[in-house]
Amino acid sequence: INPIWLLLHMSVFSQSFSPCGRFLAAGNNYGEIALFSLSAALSPDATALSQKPVLTFTAHDGPVFSLLSNDSQLFSAGNGEISCWSWSELVKKNAKPLWTKRPNYKSSLEIPEINAMIINPRDNSLVVGGGDNNIHILDLEHGVFKSVLQGHSDYIHCVSVREREAEILSGGEDGAVRMWDSRTGQSVHCVEIYKYESCARPQYGKWISCLTTDSDWMLCGGGPSLSLWHLRSLSPTSVFPLAGCQRQAAFYQDMILAVGEGPFVSHCLLGGEVKAQIPCTPQSLNTLQINANSTEHRVLTVGGSSDHIDVFTNLSYKTFSLSF
Amino acid sequence: MLANVSSQIAQQLLDFFKQYLKGCLIPAFAPIPDEVIRKRLLIDGDGAGDDRRINVLLKSVTKWCNSTGTPEEGFTQYQRMMGTLAQCEFSMGKTLMVYDMNLREMENYEKIYTNIEQSITSAHEKIAECKKEIQRAKRIRKNRQEYDALAKVIQQHPDRHETLKQLEALDKELQLLSRTKENVDAKLELRKKQFHVLLSTIQELQQTLENDEKSDNDDINQESPAENGE
Repeated sequence: INPIWLLLHMSVFSQSFSPCGRFLAAGNNYGEIALFSLSAALSPDATALSQKPVLTFTAHDGPVFSLLSNDSQLFSAGNGEISCWSWSELVKKNAKPLWTKRPNYKSSLEIPEINAMIINPRDNSLVVGGGDNNIHILDLEHGVFKSVLQGHSDYIHCVSVREREAEILSGGEDGAVRMWDSRTGQSVHCVEIYKYESCARPQYGKWISCLTTDSDWMLCGGGPSLSLWHLRSLSPTSVFPLAGCQRQAAFYQDMILAVGEGPFVSHCLLGGEVKAQIPCTPQSLNTLQINANSTEHRVLTVGGSSDHIDVFTNLSYKTFSLSF
Repeated sequence: MLANVSSQIAQQLLDFFKQYLKGCLIPAFAPIPDEVIRKRLLIDGDGAGDDRRINVLLKSVTKWCNSTGTPEEGFTQYQRMMGTLAQCEFSMGKTLMVYDMNLREMENYEKIYTNIEQSITSAHEKIAECKKEIQRAKRIRKNRQEYDALAKVIQQHPDRHETLKQLEALDKELQLLSRTKENVDAKLELRKKQFHVLLSTIQELQQTLENDEKSDNDDINQESPAENGE
């Protein structure tokens, strides 16, 4: 296959920064993970070569929908399985996984894909949400899947952890955001976003594709508009007038950054107004990450339906692009 | 002997002026290695200016010492030499002043340099302060926005006083209605009892009337068979 065509059809689905903050791992739809050196790309004497990956390897058979890092390991999810890689080994260009596990799916015919993962720091477990409508919790210390949270009626798009109250939030294709108590595994609340008139956009559907929280507030969006919810009262406080469906959103200082359909990163204020929309290379964006692990390489990177990953050193404009 | 003296004087003069030349060729603020001096002297060896003047003076001193001629000529020559000497002294004075000036300029520059360094460090500190301020201001703005968002939601709900007043009014109405209901119930009971009394009295009367009728009939029946029987 012509490599140029491969690049044209590439989509970046997930990103994760290394614990030292100097490397970025990005996963694409071909199952490959590429490691970029941020320190080389951001240094004053960077060349075009430093914007290419230092290491590219095939991690899974299917697309890598989710990448996650803790202090020493990188977790990647693709094609129904989770692989764990050691960051120190990856930096030395040794691409061998530490382990690969598969959650216990009920049906063995179809292997559901894993869409989202997050680490619950309270009990050091990995929360995995996937295509089988369930959330599987993997205990990282013992390496076994310790529980399954059932309740969604359709596949899960995104998961998040509410640290202060030890709750897990999950959003799915069925339009419901469910809050689970991480200790008992019971569903504490269930909010159906599309039922609220202010958020609902029936022309796009009811699915929730992005979910993020900072313990008191929650951002969720997808089919319905991106909206900010107050979790204690479970009421929507602001709805953001963004066209298109948002695929990932994040709280950053006093702003909200959101990416989705459309070649721009939207900066919004908590009050509901859209402050700015910064243009980027990919036509539509799937993932947004802020490098919080390093003070000197504090950048924002976005990736989407293109083989280019845009890097922002200043939030107001795109500095350069890394490419696969 | 005069020739010897004159040559000695000439030699001393030459040394003195070479020393002076060395001094004015060296810039005021940096020691220059001998190599450079040698090169400069070679370049400017016999050229224009002070050097030539000194050489000329030297030659004229020796010529004057060994001159034979009228004393007037000797005197004019002597005058000329004094004039040249004065010129040399003048230019040396000028160079010394320039040297002083350079030294003072240097000091001035050093002062300015330290000032600038200080202002750079203070600017750095101010920048750090301002960055901290910005972070604080951003946090405050975030809090204010969260507050505003919540306030918006709260505003949508009705006022607590209003609701309490409504509740009180409803309570009173409820009480009133229940009292009315009680009254009506009591009246209903009373009427029921009265009707019951009325109906039972009627029934008793009916019964009594029937009994009376029956007993009358019996009496009549008893009488007639008695009459028939006789």
